[in-house]
Amino acid sequence: MADHTCNCGGNGANSCASGKPSTPESGKVDRRSFLRKSVVMTAGLAAVAASLAPLRDLTDLGSVDQFLQKHYKELTPAEMEKALERIRGEVSRQYGLRPHLRDLKPMDGVEFVYCLNLTRCVGCRKCVHACVAENNQSRSPEIQYIRVVKMPNGTFDMERGDHTYAPETVPEKGFFYMPVQCHQCKNPPCVKVCPVDATWQEKDGITVIDYNWCIGCRYCEAACPYFARRFNFATPSIPKDQINANMSYLGNRPRQKGVMEKCHFCIQRTREGKYPACLEVCPTGSRKFGNILDPNSEVSYILKNKRVFVLKEEVGTLPRFFYYFDV
Amino acid sequence: MNTNAKESLVMTGLAVGFFGLAGAFALTLWAKPLEPVVNPPTPPDFTNTATVRQSPAEIYRTEGDTSGFSCYSCHDAKKKLEIHLDTNGEAILAEPHKDLVMRHGRKNRNDYCFNCHDAKNLEQLRVNEGQTFKLTEGNRLCGSCHGPTYRDWERGVHGRMQGFWDLSRGASAKSDCTSCHDPHAPSFPPIKPGPRPHALHPEPAAGETPKHTP
Repeated sequence: MADHTCNCGGNGANSCASGKPSTPESGKVDRRSFLRKSVVMTAGLAAVAASLAPLRDLTDLGSVDQFLQKHYKELTPAEMEKALERIRGEVSRQYGLRPHLRDLKPMDGVEFVYCLNLTRCVGCRKCVHACVAENNQSRSPEIQYIRVVKMPNGTFDMERGDHTYAPETVPEKGFFYMPVQCHQCKNPPCVKVCPVDATWQEKDGITVIDYNWCIGCRYCEAACPYFARRFNFATPSIPKDQINANMSYLGNRPRQKGVMEKCHFCIQRTREGKYPACLEVCPTGSRKFGNILDPNSEVSYILKNKRVFVLKEEVGTLPRFFYYFDV
Repeated sequence: MNTNAKESLVMTGLAVGFFGLAGAFALTLWAKPLEPVVNPPTPPDFTNTATVRQSPAEIYRTEGDTSGFSCYSCHDAKKKLEIHLDTNGEAILAEPHKDLVMRHGRKNRNDYCFNCHDAKNLEQLRVNEGQTFKLTEGNRLCGSCHGPTYRDWERGVHGRMQGFWDLSRGASAKSDCTSCHDPHAPSFPPIKPGPRPHALHPEPAAGETPKHTP
């Protein structure tokens, strides 16, 4: 360091701004170079500060409690009650009504199965819209759990399906309609790929998502062969007067931006013994739901007596959603 | 050019560049957030759970207008009802029955009134074997011909269900045959489909292929 003659305050030859030995008379920083450098520094700092401008819009940050909340399976009853109370507060603030929110557990001796009659379905999409209303899905941008695919008669090639049909009346001659939603697989690929265990299969067969644990990587969306999972790319928007106050923690409570969601067989209804919303609205009675472990249930009767079809059976997902035919 | 002037030039350039950047960031000159899409609300018809029509039993239960079921306010109970056919073999219907469309059975061949209605008591239904039913017991009349469907219906597999799958927690209600099927033209009527999924981008003009379907 003995031969270091630079006066810029650096401790090595290369850290000197000008990179050359200074003249003896520049022993102190001269006024002109100080001003010059400070203007550049100010401009640089201003640019950095301005580039952080998008943070000004970051108003929907969750609370500290939400950030520190544990995984669903690790929550004690007291912690769960605290989380529920926090969510009730959030919903009241955002939508102006206090929800009937609770954490419904699976029932003993129950495994849910869904059957859909392809002979009867006319493709009216009422199930799609009843589902949106029941499960507090975002209206704009639109999130729908059920996709009704119009298929030409004589094929099950999904590539030939059309989900944007809009004729005056349905059904159209020469086509059949196949609503597709989460199949609640017994061997679910979406659960296998989740890196954080934010989605899992409950003992009644419903694959659920902890919206507070999901990191939004969308692996599950890619893994699902049924296009059943939806991602909240934007903050969901639901009109205040259309919110469904009957909510379940793992079900239809409002979701936040950046998390996955999907059909959960209307957990807030079915775990209280009721039929799902899509079933009740279906004008043709094509949709059947029940407990497969009960030999007298409707779904047991269908699986015993009807011609049943499993969508994409070859991928080995073992769905709990069956299509069947009357004749 | 001496070193001082060179440094001065670089510094001025940097300062201008930085201020330009700062201004651009502050005004978000690029990467402007897209206008949020606002989809039109779905009409409420697509979320209501009502059946497409009402069966006589349902009309009685909900205390609706049952005047259509009192046949003898027009017909004479003492006179035997006769059906007059026109030259095409079609029944000539009186004014109150004008909107009746007969499309029952393959090739619409179940078109004779007294296949199902009792000729002796018009306020009753009657099957060929002679058994009579009240108007509110239509399901059993339908079942006298449509055996397999009736069996499925009894098990809750044909037709609509409402209420509870878990019967220990609440009741489930089946719909009547004629809550969905018009007995005179039973095939399920074509209905208007609900709105299709909205595209993320504006709808393409006619003839243009959509860039992205939802």
